[in-house]
Amino acid sequence: MSFRSTTSVAVVVIAAITVLLSAARFVTAETLPEIVVTVPESKEDRAYLGLEKEAGETFNLAEIDADILLIELFSMYCPYCQAEAPVVNTFHELALQRQEKGTTIRVVGLGASNTQFEVDHFRDTYDIPFPLFPDKPLTFYKKLGGEGTPSFLGVLLKKGAEPEIVLRQTGGFDSPEEFLEKLLESAGH
Amino acid sequence: MKAMTGMVLLAVFLAFFSVHDAAAEGPVSRFSEYIYAPGDLKAVDSTLKVRVGDRAPDFTLPAISGADVTLADFRGRANVVLSFIPAAWTPVCSDQWPGYNIVEERFRQSEAVLLGISVDNIPTLHAWTKQIGGLWFEVLSDFWPHGKVAAQYGVLRSDGTAERALFFIDKEGMISAVKVVDINTRPPLEYIFQELDGFDLK
Repeated sequence: MSFRSTTSVAVVVIAAITVLLSAARFVTAETLPEIVVTVPESKEDRAYLGLEKEAGETFNLAEIDADILLIELFSMYCPYCQAEAPVVNTFHELALQRQEKGTTIRVVGLGASNTQFEVDHFRDTYDIPFPLFPDKPLTFYKKLGGEGTPSFLGVLLKKGAEPEIVLRQTGGFDSPEEFLEKLLESAGH
Repeated sequence: MKAMTGMVLLAVFLAFFSVHDAAAEGPVSRFSEYIYAPGDLKAVDSTLKVRVGDRAPDFTLPAISGADVTLADFRGRANVVLSFIPAAWTPVCSDQWPGYNIVEERFRQSEAVLLGISVDNIPTLHAWTKQIGGLWFEVLSDFWPHGKVAAQYGVLRSDGTAERALFFIDKEGMISAVKVVDINTRPPLEYIFQELDGFDLK
């Protein structure tokens, strides 16, 4: 085999392997692990999440009745999460408005290393309108591959399919509008 | 043929690392880059020298605000909570005091002042508290003589840092509650609220 033909074969092989590996990255979906939390006491929270279960029972986040779920990993103690709280509240309002256009988006927060009391204090301080759950032992944080707070995971929830993580963001977002568009785009909506 | 095998191996190598590098471009926490992680430390490494019912040992320490703060000055005027932390620029401390920024009102309701104490020097505490976004309460430096106040209260560890500890001192200057927690953990907020509730409001 001549040097020229060897080079040609090698180039084709490089191209083929690169394409295959790149494609593999896109088709390998990241499934949301099982995150089991307690059904909220608040009737409004249960309605928001579309849960039929009673307060005190448990549910997996994948059971939430929505097209897209945004999970915020936060901590009451984290100054960046404190600063981000009003921005996330605005995002929640914008996300609710998308319901009119046929996309149901829900937001929940997991309080990394926080007790229920601490999570409740955070919610009261910033009038947070979506459900927050404590994650004192950091079980959920570790399962979700947390890399600091605040951070966000966008999850595509499709009936009969595995819940798929379509967006990860560490750190806050400056514009709730832009972040909503980014989330919708990542979820193919 | 050898040349082709070599090229193919090179191709596999390059293709693999091009993917790996892309994955590594993911978000990096911008919050922890200045924080030194000391690893898991011995939970408690000192012996308390005061207990509930004792008169709190008096002290005067310099604050990052430039003031000298004397504990006895609060007698008859305010309840006092001392929050000792081990060291600036470490993980748990850096997310303990910022949390107290959203409980200021609760301290006011209990007519209590919060004094943060660290064995770090003033310039270090100045830089660190700026980096964590500022604090509403006085931060005192127990740097020199090193850890003198921490030693008075029995919370100076053998490596020169302090325990993560809370002392609740009423308006009479008497200690009403003490909590020394595992240095690797934060005292839960509910404990602080519970002891603030215990202060007699006169």
